[in-house]
Amino acid sequence: MKELIKKIAEISAPSGRELPVLKVILAELENYIDGYRFDSVGNLIVWKKGYAENPKKLLLDGHADEIGVVITNIDEKGFLRIDPVGGVNPLMLLGTTIRFNGTIGIVSMEGETAKELTDNYSKPSFDNLFVDIGVNSKAEALSKVHIGMFGTYNAGYCEFEDKIVSKSLDDRIACAIIIQVFKEIRQPENDLYGVFSVQEEVGLVGASVAAFDIKPDMAVAIDVTAYSDTPKTFKRMDINLGNGPAIKVKDKASISDEKVVNALIDAAKSEGIPYQMEVLIFGGTNAAGYQMTGAGIKSGTLSIPCRYVHSPHEMVSYSDVQNAVKLLKKLALSNKY
Amino acid sequence: MSKYLKDLCELNGASGNEKAVREHIKKIIESKVDTIIEDPIGNLIAIKKCGKTDAKKLLLMAHTDEVGLMVTSIESDGRLAVQPVGGVDPRVLLGKRVVVGEKSLNGVIGYKAIHLQKEDFSTPPKWNSIRVEIGCNTKEEAEKQVELGDYVHFYSPFEEYENRYVGKAFDDRAGCAVLMEIIEKVTPQNFDLYFAFVVQEEIGLRGSGAVLKHVRPNALLVFEGTTAGDNPELKEERWSTHLDNGPALSYLQSGYVINELLFNSVRKTAETNQIPYQMKGRTVGGTDATRAARTYFGVPGAVINVPSRYIHSPVSVISKSDFSYVVELATKVVCSDDYINAVEGWK
Repeated sequence: MKELIKKIAEISAPSGRELPVLKVILAELENYIDGYRFDSVGNLIVWKKGYAENPKKLLLDGHADEIGVVITNIDEKGFLRIDPVGGVNPLMLLGTTIRFNGTIGIVSMEGETAKELTDNYSKPSFDNLFVDIGVNSKAEALSKVHIGMFGTYNAGYCEFEDKIVSKSLDDRIACAIIIQVFKEIRQPENDLYGVFSVQEEVGLVGASVAAFDIKPDMAVAIDVTAYSDTPKTFKRMDINLGNGPAIKVKDKASISDEKVVNALIDAAKSEGIPYQMEVLIFGGTNAAGYQMTGAGIKSGTLSIPCRYVHSPHEMVSYSDVQNAVKLLKKLALSNKY
Repeated sequence: MSKYLKDLCELNGASGNEKAVREHIKKIIESKVDTIIEDPIGNLIAIKKCGKTDAKKLLLMAHTDEVGLMVTSIESDGRLAVQPVGGVDPRVLLGKRVVVGEKSLNGVIGYKAIHLQKEDFSTPPKWNSIRVEIGCNTKEEAEKQVELGDYVHFYSPFEEYENRYVGKAFDDRAGCAVLMEIIEKVTPQNFDLYFAFVVQEEIGLRGSGAVLKHVRPNALLVFEGTTAGDNPELKEERWSTHLDNGPALSYLQSGYVINELLFNSVRKTAETNQIPYQMKGRTVGGTDATRAARTYFGVPGAVINVPSRYIHSPVSVISKSDFSYVVELATKVVCSDDYINAVEGWK
């Protein structure tokens, strides 16, 4: 599964530009699904039909997009200005590189005096940073990039001990988990839907509409969550890498449906899969989008604890990932939703 | 010269109070469309059919509301306390004339004289220090003319000079005017054209949701008056748009990356027809396209903007040529099948 994670995490596909990763996901799922479609906003929806006479429907969601940047201006010397796509802390851009398709850019900071430069470094903002792609003129820049072109962190996959580190594990780790669940389930009793949704990072766009026609009995968003196991970190939380996938009770955008929470707990307990409970005091996931779709869908979230979320180097524990696959597989094969 | 813009901009219609604008538009367009519907929350929907069965639907949208104020309290000295309806910077109100309530009473908004200011000279006024003066000296006197909840609108006669229109509410009466021009000019051939003049955009994209569920279009095209921000206090690299550079295309707005296929279709149409255009340089700002993508089964959309300097103020400025080019670009997009067919590109 590490190969799969590496393959899809390294693809550059920010919000609104998910097609490159969706194509790879679809190719990966060939022979493991009964059908697929791209909906009107670009979500990739795949399914396996259940053998039951009146099958229920379970929907698993992982968002295909990652955070990124977009070019807003190109000056006479060919330097770029950018705006964030989703929640990008400008601090994370300094000292790293950005990829606009094949063009690599270095982020640096304006400053006409030493003091101004120091001040700008202490308060980085999209108003005072610029991107250098090594060209000498606007014309040269325009031969490589254009205003409205999207980019992402230019960072790759690596393994540290039992940890996996890459850009965009938020939320390619979920895409990999869902792919793996589909690969490991031959024929379910109930219908299983996988949604690889678009534009989560800018505002839960895909998940707000993906299930409108499906009307599933239950929707589970799989997403990364915060952690409290590094030096001087969040006091009011208790989430640790390696303690198992986290069953979310609440975050700032939604309260998980009690039935979803219990179904996830039951699935974990029945297989002896380690898990932890999660109450996140900020943040939100696609569960909030599903919850308000149509007449309402029972929704919840299974989280993968992830350090350094929205940085170029997001870190998860591989055992949490494997346990999430086991847990979701059990849920899909159970009848408890 | 736009024949619709002056009347549209001079009508008052802050969010929730769009009736005058809606009725004005309805009167002008009803003989030019096949069907016209006023929905229960005040959206106006007009339809021009192509005559084919099972035709696809393209929805063109603009919002009828503008930003304004609302009376929240009548003070003992006869002056009115207000709160903003939509995004209003209190600094643009100082020293301006306004009209109050259905009777359009004359009012002014002032501020303490510069002689009496110290630090407050350099800080923006708070809403609780903004009052509308309507010439009454007591609460009782004012209560005879004004009620709590009365709307207050900018007083701003429409003017034109050189390549400029000056007035209020180009956001989004400019969009409404574009739709009216298309209604007049375009007879749909291969798909049905729906025109929605929607309410309450400025306070949170509220009206458009109902239209989308009602119409269920295949694709959406939104027309907006958008920020120019080409002011001296901003460096050129951080301008949003620039007057006279043509229609502005959005690729990202608050909460939505504009559908890539539709965006490319609009851009290609501009290039093919040699219509000048610019890319919007900033990615903030709400649009009904965001609401559409997140409503119902998800309607993909794009946005064409008329750049507006000093937007959300009584002295907004747009370019005559930008406006004409937006109408021209919109007409070309609507007369071709490329835009509505583009959404099939995912499949």
